[in-house]
Amino acid sequence: MLGEFEYVLITAAAGLGESAYGAAIREEIEKVAGRRCSIGALYTTIERLEKKGMLKTWMGEATAQRGGRAKRMVRVTPKGLHAAKEFYEAMMRVSRNASWATTKPERVS
Amino acid sequence: MSSVAEMAAIFLVPKDRDAVLGDLAETGASGWSALGSVLGLVVRQQMELWRASQPWVAGSMSFAGSLLLLCVSFGLSVDSRHLLRGERGWGSVLCEALLMLSWAWTSGFVVGSLSAKTRWVSGILCAIPCLSCVLRFHNTSLSRLCVLLFLQPGLVGAVQGVRRARLSHRTALALAIAMTALMLVWGDMYMRDWFLSLPAWWLVAHAGPSKLSNDKVAA
Repeated sequence: MLGEFEYVLITAAAGLGESAYGAAIREEIEKVAGRRCSIGALYTTIERLEKKGMLKTWMGEATAQRGGRAKRMVRVTPKGLHAAKEFYEAMMRVSRNASWATTKPERVS
Repeated sequence: MSSVAEMAAIFLVPKDRDAVLGDLAETGASGWSALGSVLGLVVRQQMELWRASQPWVAGSMSFAGSLLLLCVSFGLSVDSRHLLRGERGWGSVLCEALLMLSWAWTSGFVVGSLSAKTRWVSGILCAIPCLSCVLRFHNTSLSRLCVLLFLQPGLVGAVQGVRRARLSHRTALALAIAMTALMLVWGDMYMRDWFLSLPAWWLVAHAGPSKLSNDKVAA
């Protein structure tokens, strides 16, 4: 099963689609999750998820804004999407009776 | 972005270096903040390596192996002196020398192939007992460097282990059998010698397919 930050990273990368790369994912996580994301945590997690086959990365184009340096582009693999879906469903199941759950899913009979 | 951060980025692999420095330039990070980000990644990457068992095994083998091989090197030096005095036969000393070479080479190969990225830590763990032994060595008839005879074949093995990572099954098996046969011929065996032959059998267990097997698969 994924870790919490791994799930957040996959979700951010999947949301960005074709334009997912290091700095964009970091900005997305900080904006949506409202938490600070260090470059160290970001790249070590990307590396780990790539080893697990949940992400695919490649070097993209270099831009003047980046001082002529290439981007590390990221794409979520079907395995990564499946793992994120499993994590999401597990969290929803675990949280269904929690007092803080805003939407109570229907109880399976 | 500060040039200090760019200097610190030499510890990253080229792919990460470009991506990270580009990200920092894009977000406008500068000075200590950029340096902290780069160093944070370097530290995390090193810590990530140690989550696997291989660096621990490589480090332990490097330390324990060098301790045992120091004894073997000293024993070989003493026996060589006996050989020159005519107190020992050629065959026995030759067996001992060949065993020392093969033990050192296989141990180095296993350490190098197990964890190439943590080779510096394994190197330090090998250097500590070596330095300690050389500094404390007191024998008027032998040079203190005689305990380091194993170092060169060990280093050659480690470099080859980093480059090749695996031997073919046939080569590894032939090497392990030859070493065991040599040990039985030599006869002067201690528990230490069996421990030193473990890397050779580890290479057999983790060997890749031989060239002949690959050709058969291709056919």
